[in-house]
Amino acid sequence: MDNFTRISTFKKAIRSKAFPLLILFVIMIVLFTALAPLNDANFLTTRTFISILRDLSVPGFLAIGAGCLMVSGGIDLSQATVAAMTGVTIAVSVGWWNLPWYAAVIIALLIALCIGLVNAILVNELNMMPFIATMAMSTVTRAVMMLIATDQTGQMQGSINYNNPTLTLIGNYEIGGFLPATIIAMIIAFIFYGLLLSKTKFGRSVYLIGGNPMAARLAGINSKKTSYILFMNCSLMGGLAGLIYTSRVKQGSLSAMATDQFTGLTAAILGGISFGGGSGGMGGAFIGLLVIKTFNKGMTIIGASSYVTNVLSGALLLAALSFDYYSQRRQRKRIGA
Amino acid sequence: MEQYLELSGISKAFPGVQALKDVGFRATGGKVLALLGENGAGKSTLLKILSGDIKPDEGKIVLNGRELSFRSPHDALKSGISVIYQERQLMSAMSVMENIFAGDIPVKNGIVDYKTLKRETKKIIDQFGLPIDPETPVMFLSIAHQQMVEIMKAYRRDSLVIAFDEPTAPLTDTEIEILFNLIRRLKEQGKIILYVSHRLKEIFEVTDEIVVLKDGRFVTHVNTAETNEQDLIKYMVGRDIGDTYANLSRNDKHGDVLLEVNNLTTYAVHDVSFSLRKGEVLGFAGLVGAGRTEVMRAIFGADPIISGEIKLEGKKVEFKTPKDAIDAGIALCPEDRKEQGLVLWRSIEDNIIMPFLDKVRKWPFLDFKKSERVTIEAIKKYDIKTPTIDKIVVELSGGNQQKVILGRWTSSLVNTKLLILDEPTKGIDVGTKAEIYQMVCDLAKEGLGVIFISSELTEVINVADRIIVMKDGTITGEVLREEATEEKVLALAMASN
Repeated sequence: MDNFTRISTFKKAIRSKAFPLLILFVIMIVLFTALAPLNDANFLTTRTFISILRDLSVPGFLAIGAGCLMVSGGIDLSQATVAAMTGVTIAVSVGWWNLPWYAAVIIALLIALCIGLVNAILVNELNMMPFIATMAMSTVTRAVMMLIATDQTGQMQGSINYNNPTLTLIGNYEIGGFLPATIIAMIIAFIFYGLLLSKTKFGRSVYLIGGNPMAARLAGINSKKTSYILFMNCSLMGGLAGLIYTSRVKQGSLSAMATDQFTGLTAAILGGISFGGGSGGMGGAFIGLLVIKTFNKGMTIIGASSYVTNVLSGALLLAALSFDYYSQRRQRKRIGA
Repeated sequence: MEQYLELSGISKAFPGVQALKDVGFRATGGKVLALLGENGAGKSTLLKILSGDIKPDEGKIVLNGRELSFRSPHDALKSGISVIYQERQLMSAMSVMENIFAGDIPVKNGIVDYKTLKRETKKIIDQFGLPIDPETPVMFLSIAHQQMVEIMKAYRRDSLVIAFDEPTAPLTDTEIEILFNLIRRLKEQGKIILYVSHRLKEIFEVTDEIVVLKDGRFVTHVNTAETNEQDLIKYMVGRDIGDTYANLSRNDKHGDVLLEVNNLTTYAVHDVSFSLRKGEVLGFAGLVGAGRTEVMRAIFGADPIISGEIKLEGKKVEFKTPKDAIDAGIALCPEDRKEQGLVLWRSIEDNIIMPFLDKVRKWPFLDFKKSERVTIEAIKKYDIKTPTIDKIVVELSGGNQQKVILGRWTSSLVNTKLLILDEPTKGIDVGTKAEIYQMVCDLAKEGLGVIFISSELTEVINVADRIIVMKDGTITGEVLREEATEEKVLALAMASN
C-alpha cells in the first residue's frame, strides 16, 4: 500500500456528530411547514428564516466563545452573566453618566476581558476547577452588576433605559431594510473562528490540549497561554453578545439573557463539542443553535404554548445527549478502550 | 479441617499480552504465602482476579472445596477474600469506625447506631493492640495506621483470605515491624495470607512458602526455609534468551559525549550522575518506582530540578519546560503512552506533527500538504498499519501507537539528538517488540543517543550497550552489556542499602 490518503471530507461530514442534527433540521422544516397551516400561518418563508437567524445571533456569539473553550477542555459558567454585565455597564455609562457611546462600549468590553482574565488566573495559577472558578466569578460579577445598577437614591434598578441612536443602530441596523447586520456579523464570526479552529496552528493546539493536556504539555505545547486566550475570548464573546442585546432592547437589564445561560453550551454540545474537550467544531455548534432556534420558532408558528415548547426542547436535548453517549459507548466498546 | 485456597489453570489475556497462563497453586490456612516475580510477571493480575476486579479467561478458584466465581469485587468480599492494595481504598474524610464497618454499619430504627459502632470498633482495635481512636477521620492517621485500618476492615469482615500487595512500600522500619506482628497474629488465627513484595529480605522474614511467577507462568512453589536469595533470583529470571537479541544489528561506533548529568537531585531522585555518547544505547534498569522516569522528566524540563547540572554536547542547559528541551533536540517517549504520549482521539497526523506545529505552517494556516508528507514518511519508515493518515490513534494496536510516537520524534521536521524511551515495549506483543529493538539500534546508528528504560531485565541487558541500575531514587550501579547478567542487575536493583 503506497497511497495513504485522508478520509474524504464527505465521509468525515457524514460521520460527524452534527450530521444527524442536519437531518433533524430538515425533518423539522418539513414538519413545521406541514403543520403551520393548521394555525393559519406559514412557516416556509424568508421572513421566518431571517427571524430565526436574528434570534440566533446573540446566543451565536456565546456559543462561539464557549465552544472554543470547551474544545480545549475548559468551561465557563460566567459567560451569560458577563453578557448581562456588559449591557448594564453600557446602559449606566450612557444613560446615567452621559459618556459617549464608544467609551461606554470600550469600558464594558474591557470589563468583560478582565473577568475572562480572572477566570484564567483562577484556573491556571490557582489550579481551580473551571466549573467552580467560573461559577464563583459569575456570582461576583452579578453582585458587582447590582452595585453598578444602584442609583443615587440607593435604589437598585432592574433595568436601566438609555437613549442613544448610534448604540441602538448596532443591534438593529438592517441591510437593505430587511437583513439585520448582526446576522452578517455572526456568520463572519462563525467562519473566522471555524477557520481558526480547523486550519491554524492555534486551533490545532486547542484540540490537542483538549484531547490530552498532559501529552500536549510533554509535546511542548504551551497550554497555559492557550487557556488564557480562550478564557478571555469566551468572556469577550459574552461581552459582544451583551452589546448586541442591550442595543437591541435599548436598555441594560440585570436579568438579560438569563435564559441564554445554557443555550450556547447546549448548542456546542449538540454540535459535537464534548464536555471532555478535544472534539467538535464551530460548524457543529452553529447547526446545534440552528436546530434549537428553529424548533422554538416553529413551535411558536404552529401555535404551541411556550410551556410545551420548553418541555419538548428539553426532551430534544436529552434525546440528543443519549444518542451521543450511546454511540460513544459503542465506539469505545469496539476499540476496547 | 484444614483451610485452603486453591487456584488452578488461571489464564488471562489482555489485548497483545498474555498476562497469566495456566497458573495454579495452593495456599493453606495459618501460613503466609509469598507471590514473587519480576515486574509484569502477573502478580497484580492475579490479585485483581482474586479481588473480583477482573475475570479470568480460564481457571478455577476453590476455597475450602467450594468453587468461586465473582461478578464483582463485592462477590469476592462476600466469599471471604480481601485484597489490600498499595493504594489504600479508604474514605479518608470518614472516621476509623465508619471505614472499618463500611457496608455493614450497625443500625437501630433506621438510624446509625454510633454506640454499637464505636464499641465494636474499639473491640477490634484492642485485639490488635493499636493506639487508634475509633472516631478519628482516617486522613489524620499515619500511613502505617491507615494500612492497619485496612487490615482491620478485612478482619472485621471475617475474611478467610487476606492478600497484601506490596504493603511495606510506604512504611518505615518500625511501622513494618508493627505490620509483621499483625500478619503473624492473623496467621495464628488460621487465616490464609498472600503476600506480594519485591523485597526479598521481608519475604524471608515473614513468609512460610513462596510461589514464583515469571511472564505470567507458574515457575515453582518452595518452602521459605528451604531456599535462599540466589535461588529465588534465578527462578525469577531463568529463561532462555531467544534469537530476538542474537539477530539484533547493533551500533558499535560511539561518538562524542552527548549528554552529561552531574549530581542531579529532584524531589524524587538524589545525586544522579551519568553520561551518554552519540550512537550509544544506555539502558536504565530498576524496579517500578526506582526513580528512572523522574530522572528523565527532570532532564526533559517536565519536573523541577533542585540541584545539579545537565550538559548537552558540552554546553550547560537549563530547560524550564518540555518545549525548551524539544527545541534543543531532546525527545521523550513517556512511560504511559496512552496517558502521556498520545492524544488518543486525534489522528495519526495530529499526533506526529504535534510538537512541531510551528514548522508545518503556511501563514495563516497549517501546511496540510507538508504535514501529510511527513506523516506518510513516518508510516512508511516504521511500517505503521493504517489505511489512512487521519485514522484516530485509539484505533491502533499498542505497537503501532508506539511507532507513531517514534515517528513523531524522528521525522524530517526535527533534528532529535537524544531520544529517551521510557518502557517503550510495555504492553506490546513479542513480534513488535523485536521490531522496536531494531529501530532503537538503527536510530543509534544514525548517531542519536538513546536512553532505554525498561523494567524487563532480559530486554534492557540485551538491547542497551551499557546499563545503569537505580533503586529508591539513586544509582546503585552500572554494568556493561558484555558483563551484564540478569542476576547481577536484579541484585543491584534490589540491593539493600
